[in-house]
Amino acid sequence: MQVMKKTLAFKHSCRLSDADARQLLNTFRKIMKLSFIILLVLLVSGQLLLAYSSKGQALEKINIKIELRNATLKSALKQIEKQTNLRFAYRDNVLSPNTKVSFSTESRSVKQILDEIFASRGIGYNQIDNNIILYNNIVASTSGLATITSEKSLIMTVNGKVVDEKGESLPGVSVKIKGTNSGVATNASGDFTITVPSSNTVLVYSFLGYKTLEQSVNGKTSIRIVMEPTSQLLEQVVVVGYGTVKKRDLTGSVVSVKGDEITKVAASNPMEALQGKVAGVDIVRTSGAAGANVSVTVRGNRSLTANNGPLYIVDGIQYSNYEDINQNDIASMEFLKDASSTAIYGSRGANGVIIITTKRGAEGQVKVNAGTYYGVTELNGYPKPMTGPQFANLKREGYRTIGTWNSTADDPKVFTNAADLAAVQNGTSYYWPGMSLKNGAQQDYNASVSGGSEKTKAYFSMDYFKENGLYANDFSNRYTLRLNIDHQVAKAFKIGLQSQLAYYDQNLRTDGILTVENKVIPYFNPYNVDGSLAKFPGNGNQANPLFDDDPSQYINKYNITHLLSTAYAEWKPIADLTIRSNLGITLSSSRNGSFQGENTISRALSSGSLSSEANSTDNSLIWENIVTYQKKLGSHSIGVTAITSYQSSTSDQSSAQGTGQLLSTQSFYALQSNPANLKISSNYVGQNLTSGALRLNYAFKDKYLLTLTGRADGSSVLAAGNKWAFFPSAAAAWRIIDEPFMKTQNTFSELKLRGSYGIAGNAGVKPYQTQSNVILIPFSWNDVTALAYGLDPNIGNPNLKWELTGTVDIGLDYGLLKDRITGSIDFYDSHTKDLLLLQQLPATTGAKTTLANVGKSRNTGVEIALNTVNVRTGDFSWSSTFTYTRNNERITYLPNGVNDLGNGWFIGHPVSSFYDYQKIGIWQTSEATQAAAYGYKPGDIKVADIDGDGKITAAGDRVILGAAVPKYSFGFSNDLKFKGFDLNIQIFGRIGQMFVSQYALKYEPNAIENGAVVDYWTPENPTNAYPRPNANISKASEAFASTLGYADGSFVKIRNATLGYNLPASALRSIHLSNLRIYVSAKNFATFSKVKDYDPEGAGSFERPLTKLFLAGLNLSF
Amino acid sequence: MKKLIKRWALLLIAMAIAFSACNKKLDEYNPSNLTASTVYTKAVGFETLVNAAYTYTRFWYGKEEGYQISEMGTDIWTSGTGDVYPSFTQYNNLQGSSLPGGDPLSLEWNNFYAAINLCNTGIATIGDVTDYTAAQKTTREAELRYLRAFYYWHIVETWGDVHFTTTPTAGAITEANRTPVSAFYDQIFTDLKFAVANLPATTSDYGRATIPVAKAFLARMYLTRGMNAEAFAMADDVIKNYGYVLQPKYVDLWNMGNLKNKEVIWAVDYSTNLTNNDLTTTTYPYGHSRGSNNGHLMYLMVYDQVNTSLLIRDINNGRPFNRYMPTLAYLNMFDQANDSRFNGSFQSVWTANKAGTFNSNTIKVGDTICYTPVATIPVASQSKKYVTYDLAKVYDPVTAIPIQRKFYISLSKFKDSTRASVAEAQSARDVFVIRLAEMYLIAAEAKLNLGDPTTAATYINVIRTRAAKPGRTAQMQITPAQVTLDFILDERARELGGEQLRWFDLKRTGKLGSRIQALNPDAAPYFKPYHLVRPIPQSQIDAVTNKDVFKQNPGYN
Repeated sequence: MQVMKKTLAFKHSCRLSDADARQLLNTFRKIMKLSFIILLVLLVSGQLLLAYSSKGQALEKINIKIELRNATLKSALKQIEKQTNLRFAYRDNVLSPNTKVSFSTESRSVKQILDEIFASRGIGYNQIDNNIILYNNIVASTSGLATITSEKSLIMTVNGKVVDEKGESLPGVSVKIKGTNSGVATNASGDFTITVPSSNTVLVYSFLGYKTLEQSVNGKTSIRIVMEPTSQLLEQVVVVGYGTVKKRDLTGSVVSVKGDEITKVAASNPMEALQGKVAGVDIVRTSGAAGANVSVTVRGNRSLTANNGPLYIVDGIQYSNYEDINQNDIASMEFLKDASSTAIYGSRGANGVIIITTKRGAEGQVKVNAGTYYGVTELNGYPKPMTGPQFANLKREGYRTIGTWNSTADDPKVFTNAADLAAVQNGTSYYWPGMSLKNGAQQDYNASVSGGSEKTKAYFSMDYFKENGLYANDFSNRYTLRLNIDHQVAKAFKIGLQSQLAYYDQNLRTDGILTVENKVIPYFNPYNVDGSLAKFPGNGNQANPLFDDDPSQYINKYNITHLLSTAYAEWKPIADLTIRSNLGITLSSSRNGSFQGENTISRALSSGSLSSEANSTDNSLIWENIVTYQKKLGSHSIGVTAITSYQSSTSDQSSAQGTGQLLSTQSFYALQSNPANLKISSNYVGQNLTSGALRLNYAFKDKYLLTLTGRADGSSVLAAGNKWAFFPSAAAAWRIIDEPFMKTQNTFSELKLRGSYGIAGNAGVKPYQTQSNVILIPFSWNDVTALAYGLDPNIGNPNLKWELTGTVDIGLDYGLLKDRITGSIDFYDSHTKDLLLLQQLPATTGAKTTLANVGKSRNTGVEIALNTVNVRTGDFSWSSTFTYTRNNERITYLPNGVNDLGNGWFIGHPVSSFYDYQKIGIWQTSEATQAAAYGYKPGDIKVADIDGDGKITAAGDRVILGAAVPKYSFGFSNDLKFKGFDLNIQIFGRIGQMFVSQYALKYEPNAIENGAVVDYWTPENPTNAYPRPNANISKASEAFASTLGYADGSFVKIRNATLGYNLPASALRSIHLSNLRIYVSAKNFATFSKVKDYDPEGAGSFERPLTKLFLAGLNLSF
Repeated sequence: MKKLIKRWALLLIAMAIAFSACNKKLDEYNPSNLTASTVYTKAVGFETLVNAAYTYTRFWYGKEEGYQISEMGTDIWTSGTGDVYPSFTQYNNLQGSSLPGGDPLSLEWNNFYAAINLCNTGIATIGDVTDYTAAQKTTREAELRYLRAFYYWHIVETWGDVHFTTTPTAGAITEANRTPVSAFYDQIFTDLKFAVANLPATTSDYGRATIPVAKAFLARMYLTRGMNAEAFAMADDVIKNYGYVLQPKYVDLWNMGNLKNKEVIWAVDYSTNLTNNDLTTTTYPYGHSRGSNNGHLMYLMVYDQVNTSLLIRDINNGRPFNRYMPTLAYLNMFDQANDSRFNGSFQSVWTANKAGTFNSNTIKVGDTICYTPVATIPVASQSKKYVTYDLAKVYDPVTAIPIQRKFYISLSKFKDSTRASVAEAQSARDVFVIRLAEMYLIAAEAKLNLGDPTTAATYINVIRTRAAKPGRTAQMQITPAQVTLDFILDERARELGGEQLRWFDLKRTGKLGSRIQALNPDAAPYFKPYHLVRPIPQSQIDAVTNKDVFKQNPGYN
């Protein structure tokens, strides 16, 4: 509690004012630019610098002049320290205070001087970096009984050699005296020499990719150290479904990401932090709104209607609100991609499984971590609508086309309103979006405490995250509290609890502000002459979006509480058997209160304000029992896991609303004050899932690994008779590296071949789809409300069953050059059948849709992960991670084997494909005859006559133009460390996807609204971009207007650039900290794409533009 | 070891019990929804089905999509600046565009067939209702049959020989058929005869089908199919035997306080409690995006742009969507001196609702500020006190094509000053689907077709007598010699303009093409004979699997 108070106080004192922060950040931004340039230089030079040693300057090369007369040795050394950056270290008894020395002024090397002083006095010295350690030569060389009494004060030189497990020397290994910062590095042949203060000094050997080793010198002057390689990698424990496995024994395709990797990027949630970091996982954030989430797909989309999102498991329990989780609480995240890994989750596994494991307390000293950051978000490009004069020109051209306008003398015929005419003549222009868009902010304050005794261990943490969006009153506050406890009740019996509370306090602006601001006539003044806001600017028909900025007029408040609490009891009756029972409860309650004043965009055209409140509560209960048995018999290892699972979730909602209340001050707190349109509703949805599963693991000589899994799922949402399904899988792996014939080679340090096949399902179906419902239609007789139940246009399907995906996965894990290069390659081919899709029915049936199991899809792809250690020296290291994902997604079958134009689904193409006419330009004056043959005239959009029948028809001339999914994506992350500095640069690319630009579509040929700045056709401007303005043609009636919006959405962005500095331990000791890191970071620092002024990750929307974030923060621990 | 086995056995048993207990939980609990089988099998539930069957009329009557299809593309209307679908209005392109409620043809197609399926479901399953009396059963079946006929008429006249069925849809049907127009009418007549035989003569629920409602509609059907004797007899029966009377003054028909009057035979009764109407909401996602009666929005010119300092938008003048304007030919059909229907239908004077000055004249609230006469006023005679949009400022004198489409004399009979706010798009105005005046016109047209212009003139003169300005009755009378098909169409335009019948009237009389060519210069260049049926929505073509059978209407590919 004491700690909590402290951290809360810390939170308040650390808040920066916006102005200060902005100034600070501007400075940081410059630094970021600089560090980016540095990285580029490093990349371009492309040299993998391999420097092994960084000894201090050679003493014989340092020339100094000192003049001394009868000085003590101490003062002589001080003189040398003054003139050089050398420092002397020695015990008091080494230098006799009575010894005096004298020097003349001539220049000499330090070596000469030292040799002169010490040689005759029995004092030896040794250089470590810039430190020179003095020792008593006579004592050191003496051995035997005589010296026992003074052993503790010995200073001795140790010569050593560090080798790897194969006896090969390891250069560049850091050798440090424990508890100090002084140390040396091994040279090219793995040798080192170090002078230590005592014969039982403990030396710490560390090297990237090798297990850090601590060993006492034990009085030996010559030692040989064998370091164990990559133990962290292979012995690393990876969490899989209902258990853990060593990485070396994995048979499936699983990627594990550790907690520190997740906190590298300042992100609003853990998934966003991992963009581009996990091969095969596509993560995009398409909205810049406060609290906006990301969409995650693993190995492409396979479902047309059912959910394509992966299953999230948090500490063993299904929990979809991953955005609640404080990144700092995460110990690891595992991505289960192939069917053999996911089949254990049965009907929920087809879209991949993401397992999140939170940190736990450990026995020992209490550890406290705290961190904070503050950042400013700004638009990552935004395309502007036309200015007043640009709009006026479009309108004139439109009227010119119909013969009304020929020159500005005709302006009064076009701008019939005197005020408009004056505004046009004066060149009046307002940049409407600029009036609402402003910079946003992100800030985070977190703290955690962990510790424990032999029996009880605990971890608790808190986090406060606030995001301000790009509009006024657009914000999201998130508070997260966590407590994880483990308690050993008896020797074989353990219990524990993981609890997380997340609370959101948000006000979200969602009123289509920019949509309005992009269409309001730009010369309309938002203000009346008296300075008040004009309700309908220019007496036009667009409401004034600035009314929405008033916090009392547009309220859309969300208060959301998510509670996840999981208790377990674990019993180990005998050595190899574990019986565990998990009970997980998730509760969620959400209140959305909304008030829209009479002048807001949504109400300006209606009568009076709208107040509403919606409440929902969701709860789910998961009870799982897991029995694990593991046994090793000679060369055979066997593991059995048996599971039962029961999951029940219910959700109910209620809402009420009304319009026209007298005063806005009552907001949504007095719905009964609304005189009109009172509405109430409530709803209940519930579903249950019952399952049993079994997994067998078998290993022969630890080289040949086999995993067999089967799970049976029964679900309430499916039709009777189809409720149960069985999901089997098998996987095998061969550890080639462990074969005798591999012992002789040095190229590979790891080589494992994996193969798996399995079937997983998709349960992303809403309940009650098997039933045909009736809908309540508002009705009355004689003005008295009467019930009218009509047929639901979505009719029930009594034959609904599971959607099944079978996946083959072949993977290779490799390590090269003693694991300087590691990684994996996976190929997969997944077939999904019985696709659940909302089949569009002909309207002549009276129904519109039904959910049916029709259709098949297929995803094939390759995933490459490559980790390299490019530079590794004592002070400087540079490692890179590269991931590459290529997925080929396509629908392979649809009802009756024909394309579904109604839904836009096409066999052989991805789920979200764009099907339209193919614009090839604009009909030019010279092509008038040709155009006329098609029924068009110069200035109209020209589309390809695909079937060549001389007519443009919907049936024959529409083609697939592209798809919303990328052809490939990649991530390239670099970590550079130099002494206390660390720099992370991450590049993320998504290539080949298409999007529909709302901006490009915003062209009004009759200038009835404002729109995009485009290059439109006129007789004098024979462009092929946009058709001719025409006052008599609305956008809706402009033929082929939809073809104007398609754009190449490929992008490469510098997702993250972070520069951090760890304060040296010596500086921290005085303030009782063990670690303090300060950093600056830039997110979405630069984006490269073919689209101007727009971040294509936003997928075309101009309503919620994406942002750049520049921030500064600090982390500390003690 | 024994102990261990025991433990294992216990564990397995416990797991098995837990498992089987959970298995029972796999039945769905669904208290928030009702299914057809639970609701429609009881009398109280079946009543809700019949109610629901009426609601689909609201997608056509009083809706922009309905006006677009039934009034536009005729001789009397053309596009105002605000027309969101001018290429439809002018037959330039009938496909692929959209209105706020959705593509007008798709919206109507989808909802008419949804209505048909509901009627089919009701007619097929009414026998399963256990607690109806025999009389109740036949009444409700008669209502459903009346409605089915009514909806099928809209379908068959709009799209021609498209899909027809009397079987309720079960499961995922993906095919559609092509049925001859005559088969539609066979069913329409069968259903209407059943309705006439089994409906009650009166109802306390305003808007429910009754015998005269079915008869009146049957009269329209007979006339449509050229069964003139039957048409006359049926119309005459309705005129004489059911107590309907013409309102004394034409303008009274449009008084918001007089909606439920004796001239109305059948109406879509929009509730004054707007939540009972059809606006799309979260609780009723399948509604219309604008809801209730939107007729008041469509025909008004932008009076609020004439002079923004003197005349601003207000409830009384209405919310002007500026969608449609009359053709010059339509305006010329009126005998302004004698026919009260001109002023009863149109607004040509707007008065200031803000005080100020105009051309140095002081303008008080209530002073005329805009005048749109059907005349050409010499410039010298034009008032300096208000703005005039005379014919010369609206229509090209040679081509009759509008010069500008913002300021013009406006159809005002649907205006509703009882709306809560100036922006309120929903009006509670009932939409008159069939009113007594139409019966006189049906009778007259049938008689003319039967070669009896004398009787025809008699029936028309009843209408014209009511329409006459005070003291002008004699001038309004016509002689049998004046009665022609074109005269009747002109008379229908004067009497029923905007009431969603025009396109059907022109199609029935075979005059659609010729009158567009003669009277609507905007649409004339584009109209083709194949336009006598509308294109089938692409979504339907896309969704059917028997594409070789169910094809687009000719001319539209």
